[in-house]
Amino acid sequence: MKPGVIDNNRIFRRVGVILALFLLTISIGVPLLLIFWESVYPDGQWDWMAPIRTITGQHLSGVLLNSVWLGICVVAVTTLLALPLAWMMAKTRMGQHRWVDVILMIPFMTPPYIGSMGWILFMQKGGYLQQWVPSAASWSELFFSFWGMVLIMSLHLFPFLYLLLRDAIIRIGGNLEEAGAVHGGRAGYRFRRIILPLLLSSYGMGIMLVFVKTIAEFGTPATFGRRIGYYVMTSEIHKYISSWPIDFGKATSLASVLLSVCLVMWYMQSAMSRKFTYRLVGGKGQRSKRYSLRGGAGWLCGFYLALLLILSVGIPYFSIIAASTMKLRGAGLSFDNLTLDHYRELLSWGSVSMKAIGNSLGLSLAASTVAVIIGTGFALTIGKSSSFMQRVIDLFSLLPNTVPGIVMVVGLILFWNSPWMPFTLYNSYGMVVLTYVVLFLPYTVQYVKSSFTQIDGTLFQAGQVFGGRPLYILRRILLPLIIPGMLAGWMMTFTIATRELVGSLLILPPSMQTSATYIFAQFEQGQVSLGMAMAVVTVVMTVLMLLGIEVLNSKRKWNAS
Amino acid sequence: MLGMKTRKRSAMLLLSAVMSISLFGCSTGNSTTGNAGQAAGEGSTATASAETTKPAGGKLVLYSAGPQKLADNIISGFTAKTGIEVEMFQGTTGKILARMEAEKSNPVADVVILASLPSAQALKADGLTLPYPDAENADKLNKDWSDADGNYFSSSASALGIVYNTKLVSTPPTSWSELATPAWKDVVNIPDPTLSGSALDFITGYLSVNGDKGWDLLESYKANGVAMAGANQEALDPVITGAKSIVAAGVDYMAYSSKAKGEPLDIVYPEEGTVISPRPAAILKSSQNVENAKAFIDYLLSDEAQKLVADAYLIPGREDIEATNRANLKDIPQLKVDWNWMSEHGDETAARFSETFK
Repeated sequence: MKPGVIDNNRIFRRVGVILALFLLTISIGVPLLLIFWESVYPDGQWDWMAPIRTITGQHLSGVLLNSVWLGICVVAVTTLLALPLAWMMAKTRMGQHRWVDVILMIPFMTPPYIGSMGWILFMQKGGYLQQWVPSAASWSELFFSFWGMVLIMSLHLFPFLYLLLRDAIIRIGGNLEEAGAVHGGRAGYRFRRIILPLLLSSYGMGIMLVFVKTIAEFGTPATFGRRIGYYVMTSEIHKYISSWPIDFGKATSLASVLLSVCLVMWYMQSAMSRKFTYRLVGGKGQRSKRYSLRGGAGWLCGFYLALLLILSVGIPYFSIIAASTMKLRGAGLSFDNLTLDHYRELLSWGSVSMKAIGNSLGLSLAASTVAVIIGTGFALTIGKSSSFMQRVIDLFSLLPNTVPGIVMVVGLILFWNSPWMPFTLYNSYGMVVLTYVVLFLPYTVQYVKSSFTQIDGTLFQAGQVFGGRPLYILRRILLPLIIPGMLAGWMMTFTIATRELVGSLLILPPSMQTSATYIFAQFEQGQVSLGMAMAVVTVVMTVLMLLGIEVLNSKRKWNAS
Repeated sequence: MLGMKTRKRSAMLLLSAVMSISLFGCSTGNSTTGNAGQAAGEGSTATASAETTKPAGGKLVLYSAGPQKLADNIISGFTAKTGIEVEMFQGTTGKILARMEAEKSNPVADVVILASLPSAQALKADGLTLPYPDAENADKLNKDWSDADGNYFSSSASALGIVYNTKLVSTPPTSWSELATPAWKDVVNIPDPTLSGSALDFITGYLSVNGDKGWDLLESYKANGVAMAGANQEALDPVITGAKSIVAAGVDYMAYSSKAKGEPLDIVYPEEGTVISPRPAAILKSSQNVENAKAFIDYLLSDEAQKLVADAYLIPGREDIEATNRANLKDIPQLKVDWNWMSEHGDETAARFSETFK
């Protein structure tokens, strides 16, 4: 950059860094500090050895290894699922089918424990599969194993990796590959030497989040893992935090171990990302070659997509919808056992369930909007994480994704409900929004960062050369280029916020319910059908909303041929 | 004393650390507004407690474990009678206790209803409950289930039994030990005692009668493929759908209400006796609405509320009221359990049980 503009930029940057640090300290730093405080201060006695004792004394190494092994396997399987799909959707004519993206958001929108329940209802003894195909009884229960759990979790998380990879492949564009072809590189060579290195940064970010999401996930271990006797860190943490006797000290000690594992992952990822980040979005127009799929290849791709859709959406949703339309759960699949009464009860005007839906939508809209604004600010401040402060902000804004949700939430409660606070936010609407923003901030930061770091600085220099002031450059160059990232972050936050459960259970003011806590309460109360109906209704609503956005968005094609 | 001192000092340390962070924004104004806010806070609590001396109107915060419909009905009955608005948090006993723990520096709940007597005994032992010895109708309550000093009142109870799927089981087992026989291999669920207060009551109750020999039964369960499966509803659900045949130590009111809906379920109480798990309600010492809380306890023990309890397939807490839709107290063979032993040994039993069944 030219010396004259650097001063200007530096001031902007410094203000941004200070503001970001301040916000992160009060929303994430202090609450987590209080958690650590609680872990070395159990039973009102200072005891810095407490976490170490907890860890050595609880057969923890086995549980920790379980968590890590699960994370590794899920990363491997999500890669297998997501990478071919990302390539197909970026590089072939299949990419025109934008509806696929929305359908693939469904697994991600489904609360993990609901998805697992769907699989359990389908595969278990006397389950839907065996009612359909009685001969399946000989093998279907083999599904209840470690690999069944890996499959369920991968099917839940792969859309996330897919979206990141697809966007990255689109950004790579066609001309680099063409250059390789011109110089005589064959397809395999081009993939290995051109596409792969350029993908590594996004892929590293993606798998780190998948890994962290997996080992911080609570729903599937609680429903499926408990059933097969596979215990992980989160189930242990949850045990100490929600069952008698409550022991925040132990829970927070375990959480700090989990946190350390995630921090190591983060460090590896950021080192890799710094090495392999390239400027891909330059000023020159990009063409991307799209293969038209004919014959065998087309069939293969179609078959692959269909299989993915059946596994990730078809089977769980068959179970969920079947369970939601049953008069008697004990009577099984049959037409005289069908009813829509649960939907009628759910959607009757002014009912508790309608209020819960309203709450969910309102909270998610507020939270995702705030998260996008703050998150974009953070991402731009972090930039290419060249300075130490920027890396600190990067680390902090990622923390909520590396701490199990429940721990983060307890920290927030400890902070915002402490006696020395001049005002307490706890037990108010604002507290819920704050919690959601904190929990889901990493998504926006990641998405925006990923699109921002790949913009070539020459674009801004060009803007300045032609006399653009900072605001003008921001509006006409930067924003248009990062809007897809912001939109993706917004959508991600919105969809996850509508199904957020663990935090809501602790943080919602009494008498207030969201659709997720409503579903959970129905399960607790034995109204499984009503809960499943609610799951279907919320997912349908979210899909319709995303479709609307998708339609609006497709009018404005970004960086396409 | 020393502990107190270090605690105070470390609290100050933390406080000053946090203050210096928030001072970042505004340097001098902060501390004074902080003090003012605190003073105002104290003032308002003082006026609040003065206001609550008149029972009509105002609000009440209730944390309630157990069937939601029952809680909803009780709340609407109570509000209709007194005009007091009730805000409720509904969850399992474990979740309620977790929430109370998270809020301990700034508690909001006035009354808690739990599904486990030992938890209420622990609340009392920790000095968190407010005694209300003058509660109306308290003298009619089952003495074994409630506190003599009025710290908690069990307004309802449920018995634990063998719940079975009638499509899969034609001759249900009649004793606890029968579940360890090959006929029931791999088809039995038992709720997780760390999640279900009533399951813990059954296990500690059984052990309090049988001593260490009681573990023989539980270990033979494990050997026979009995699976530990979440809280009560989670353990029951696979039995309704037919993936499992039996819940050992299942709560009976869930079985009765599912059966009333038409699900293929029924329940037997083993002949050697079972445990009845009372559901205590307590006023918290930190309550900001003491008079309203007292009025709520009075209502819980009234004829009207006890009738609602019976309608929800639970055993009424008052001995003079009977349910017509289920087995009553006198019809259920009971083990002679020792509640004091149970509440002392709850933690270690739960830990050993989940270690055994993992």
